[in-house]
Amino acid sequence: MVCEQFERILEQQDDDTLPKPALDHLETCEACRALSADFYAIHDMALELGAEGIAPPERVWISLRNQLEAEGLIYGDLQAAPQPVYNSGPGWWTVFQRPAVAGAFLGIVLAAASAVSYLSNFPQTAVQSEATLQQETSSVPSADSVFKEEVLTVGNDSIPGLQRQDTAVSDSIRRNLQIVDNFIAICEKNVREQPDNQMAREYLYGAYQQKAELLATAMNRSMTGGLQ
Amino acid sequence: MNATSYLRAASTARTRNAVRAGALGAAMAGFILAASPAHADRVEKHFAVQNKPKITVRNSSGRIQVKAWTKSEVLVAWTNAGGKSVVETELAGNRVEVAAQAGEDGNSTDGSKTDFEITVPVESELSVRTDSGNVTVDSVHGDMTFDTVGANLQLTDVNGYMVVKTIDGSLVCNRCSGKLEANSISGNVQMIQPSLDSVRVQTSSGNILFDGSFSSRGIYIMKNFSGTIEVHFSSSDSFDVAANSLKGDVINQASFKPDTHGTPRPASKWGHGFFGTMNEGHAKVELSSFSGTIKILKRD
Repeated sequence: MVCEQFERILEQQDDDTLPKPALDHLETCEACRALSADFYAIHDMALELGAEGIAPPERVWISLRNQLEAEGLIYGDLQAAPQPVYNSGPGWWTVFQRPAVAGAFLGIVLAAASAVSYLSNFPQTAVQSEATLQQETSSVPSADSVFKEEVLTVGNDSIPGLQRQDTAVSDSIRRNLQIVDNFIAICEKNVREQPDNQMAREYLYGAYQQKAELLATAMNRSMTGGLQ
Repeated sequence: MNATSYLRAASTARTRNAVRAGALGAAMAGFILAASPAHADRVEKHFAVQNKPKITVRNSSGRIQVKAWTKSEVLVAWTNAGGKSVVETELAGNRVEVAAQAGEDGNSTDGSKTDFEITVPVESELSVRTDSGNVTVDSVHGDMTFDTVGANLQLTDVNGYMVVKTIDGSLVCNRCSGKLEANSISGNVQMIQPSLDSVRVQTSSGNILFDGSFSSRGIYIMKNFSGTIEVHFSSSDSFDVAANSLKGDVINQASFKPDTHGTPRPASKWGHGFFGTMNEGHAKVELSSFSGTIKILKRD
């Protein structure tokens, strides 16, 4: 078994028991052991936190799930489940309903989606515009846009127990998201024009990473009212 | 880096952060805390500590001032003019935790703005997290981490390993020594008369200023996207420099000779930049910008 197969099994798994091939792989692969440990830690932490926490509105999870499926980041088992995704039992998806985990996962998704999107086009062809690509391949709102919308509006929702975010903090996050988005657009343009420019590529990676971190921070601050 | 390794690296970093955040939240919930009611007046608490205590401060809004004294004691004083926040403190072993939380109405607005004055032993570790409001730290020696959204940070006469993460807060480091890692999106970073032997500073749209001496074993990496990177040097400084701005200019007042140690590097065909050595080239200086201007200026 290779690491990619192991990751797929880990994502699809609904209980705590890994199949034997995956367990065998774990014994020989330190990286997958670390990844698996992180997933279990998140899972356990989410269970410990209980059910009294605040969950974002249903539509976020539905949109996110659709987008993740469209991008091939989650697979058929979840799709086959008849019940709504936000109520899908003990699977991994429950874990993602926790704010801190959601923020962390968002970062992963954005980073991965960005990297995959970019790498799949480079260097054979010029990098295609992100907006154009999204229009051509998916009618589902992007995970990025769904989360950005929630990040910027959740502070104004009257959800009991959820602290309203400081206006200055919201403004700061909005402003800086705009800055990073602009940088990404500039970098993408530059990489399209100069595909073998290593420095431009590094800046593009850095900007993607910065955006993922910023969104995770925004989710974290928004969900906890600034404290955690 | 391929997509899988990028995913894996991002996954590991993100999940660990999430675990830490979750663990901290759970731990905070389980604390037996000495909670003080919201108060417009100044409240003080004293904590007897041993050598090198660790002080953790969590605040959402308000000023945080940390200074040092020679006593083996931590003094935490605060005011909450709006009277809407609750300050919780804890002493556990040699660790002091201070957290200001919004009151029951859940508003984290002006009413919950809490100003702290914290006095700590000179040798102390600090961890500060706040969203808005300024943070100042004077004369503390120890490792420090700062996590802010819009809060500006001023460090003066501090020594240690300093890690700063901010979204658009600025950092001013006066006479700092030790190691500095700072990441910001739109904040400026200034290092005035530093004695730092390791600097890794990155900001997207902010400016970076380094005005000080380079340690002979130092490594100084400064990077931004736009904005200016300005480095001041004296003729006795000894460093290798690699400066490159993809879209911006590089202004250099130094007379560098070709790098005599290390692998000769061909000049990049992209952007403006150069490699060079000043005197023996002991320190290593890397300056990089996407569209900003890099200035290497001689100190008066």
